[in-house]
Amino acid sequence: MNNLLIPSSTALRVGTRALLRLSSTSAANSNRIWIGRSAFRTQSPARIRKLTRDFCSRSVPDVRRLAETARITLTPEEIEEVGPKIQQVLDWFGQLQAVDLENVEPAIRADTEGDNLRDDVPEVFENREAIIAAIPSYEEPYIKVPKVLNKE
Amino acid sequence: MASTLCRVIQFHTHHFFSSPAVLFRRNKAGMMYCTMKSTQSPDATRELKMPQAKVAPDNYRKLDKVTEGFEAVIGLETHVQLNTVTKAFCSCPYSYGSQPNTNICPVCMGLPGALPVLNAKVIECAVKLGLALNCKLAFASKFDRKQYFYPDLPKGYQISQFDIPIATGGYIDVDLPLEFGGGHRRFGITRAHMEEDAGKLLHTGNSSFSQVDLNRAGVPLLEIVSEPDMRTGVEAAEYAAEIQRLVRYLGISNGNMQEGSLRCDVNVSVRPIGQLEFGTKVEVKNLNAFSAIGRAVDYEISRQSLLYSKGQGDEVVQETRLWDEGSQKTVTMRKKEGLADYRYFPEPDLPEVILTEGYVEKIRQSLPEIPEAKRRRYEEMGLGMQDVLFLANDISVANFFDTTVAKGVDVKLAANWIMGDIAAYMKDEKVSIGEIKLTPDELAELIKSIKDGTISGKIGKEILFELIAKGGTVKGLIKEKDLVQITDAGEIEKMVDQVISENPKQVEQYRGGRTKLQGFFAGQVMKMSKGKANPAILNSILLEKLNSSS
Repeated sequence: MNNLLIPSSTALRVGTRALLRLSSTSAANSNRIWIGRSAFRTQSPARIRKLTRDFCSRSVPDVRRLAETARITLTPEEIEEVGPKIQQVLDWFGQLQAVDLENVEPAIRADTEGDNLRDDVPEVFENREAIIAAIPSYEEPYIKVPKVLNKE
Repeated sequence: MASTLCRVIQFHTHHFFSSPAVLFRRNKAGMMYCTMKSTQSPDATRELKMPQAKVAPDNYRKLDKVTEGFEAVIGLETHVQLNTVTKAFCSCPYSYGSQPNTNICPVCMGLPGALPVLNAKVIECAVKLGLALNCKLAFASKFDRKQYFYPDLPKGYQISQFDIPIATGGYIDVDLPLEFGGGHRRFGITRAHMEEDAGKLLHTGNSSFSQVDLNRAGVPLLEIVSEPDMRTGVEAAEYAAEIQRLVRYLGISNGNMQEGSLRCDVNVSVRPIGQLEFGTKVEVKNLNAFSAIGRAVDYEISRQSLLYSKGQGDEVVQETRLWDEGSQKTVTMRKKEGLADYRYFPEPDLPEVILTEGYVEKIRQSLPEIPEAKRRRYEEMGLGMQDVLFLANDISVANFFDTTVAKGVDVKLAANWIMGDIAAYMKDEKVSIGEIKLTPDELAELIKSIKDGTISGKIGKEILFELIAKGGTVKGLIKEKDLVQITDAGEIEKMVDQVISENPKQVEQYRGGRTKLQGFFAGQVMKMSKGKANPAILNSILLEKLNSSS
């Protein structure tokens, strides 16, 4: 569940990454569940449940399409392998729909005490070398990437 | 995503235009209306010279023919880079022009486990701008993740605000440049929200690789979305110029277009006059100067109008086009395949942004006079519109003027000195008003010294340039150079007598009817007094002497 919401930390894991794309691949309504609290507030609880149900009870995911929107390449074997796994997670979400949330405010994030802000005071990260060393393709002083001009 | 691509292209526009054949396959006839040469100076020097956004006026006459019967609907999206010391969500310092990839840390590099913490200054800037744009503030707004794929965005998403922006529903007042007929306009502001910038991509040569500099990744931006309230290129350009003025007045951004601190994307659609629904919207990017905004918009209006009037309206498609400064045209960058799907969802790593009444009120109290208020105040002071627009254009010029006037000198005189000799000097030497040695106090002193007759206007002008270039005080210079005006009639009379006695031939001619020679005598006396003789006294004595036939 957590992985679903924090793609940055798991960005390279195929399964979770592809899952994120699910919301975009078919039913237009499905996006709404990610829009946030205000979207929830303006929808009736019944409507929200239906939206979420639609999202989760969709037919078998099109893994090939998901991979494309996630900009990852999968071998036919991987597609075979990942499809059922994604379906499993979807089914799990389907189970979650059974929980009665009628009187529960949607939780977007863990609540923190007060605001969590910092002053505009610079602090240089001291281990830049480690970051640079971890970049797969680096040519001083730039990060080198395949040319992706005008490709969207 | 869209704005990122634009940024990318700014560096290497030629890449797209390398094949002339594709430039205007779609519409050959439309081009003839739009090949006018730019008469603009480079934007870098424009700011001081021209107080208002400039678009060559002769564009309009040509446009009239094609666009008759059509109305354009224009809206702008403006990104303002904030001048905070650190980035939006991490403590990395940011300064334009740093060595690539030096201002980075795990947060802005999107490394696993790194968590963002919002810079309080970003909220302050957003509230300032929101208030100055007469917006309604959201006392509880939030951040969202906008997903897209591009190498300038290490996290794979941009932290932005989606459905609850910090500011909504405001407006901005604009005075159109006088050379386009002037006039006051009010344009609606749909929203303004906080977000982070992406890195920079460079595409060099024919290599199959691009270079990425992530120094700018995570730098705070405010995105301002206007209502589709503009109808001409001039209005669009002036709206953008006013946003620049506003952020500079507020001190939240340097508003520099060349450095990319102020970036504008323009949406243009055209519809037959009287039609209620909007025409197909085209987005134009790569606008690096206000003049480019005006010209790109007018180009689009004529291009689209022409297609509609030829019954080829279906060729106006929803797409992103780039302004090409070289050819003065817009060219297709990419066609939109449905709405971009950014899969927004709430940023779980950041708490809601909560504002309190007290906080907002404190900022409201501290807001400086905004450009519109300044212009209206200058107008009430009795200044003409040309003066008003010039003085209020640049916050530092306006401050200089305000400080000078606060010393109790005549408003119009102060305006004339600043807009005349001082502005000319700044233009010639390419310096800003903050860089000249003359202070507002000394300008006030100079104006007073002329007014009370201590020095002549001519001398005043002479020492002005010394004050600008070398500094010093008016009193000091007057004393040092012995410049005090001679108002002693007896002393002037002596000099007049001497000049008359030394030029008997001219005296004869004068008395013979060549009265124009008075100027010659006055000049001689002035020369003798080293410019210090009071001109009024000099002339009255001179006339008396010349006309008395002794």
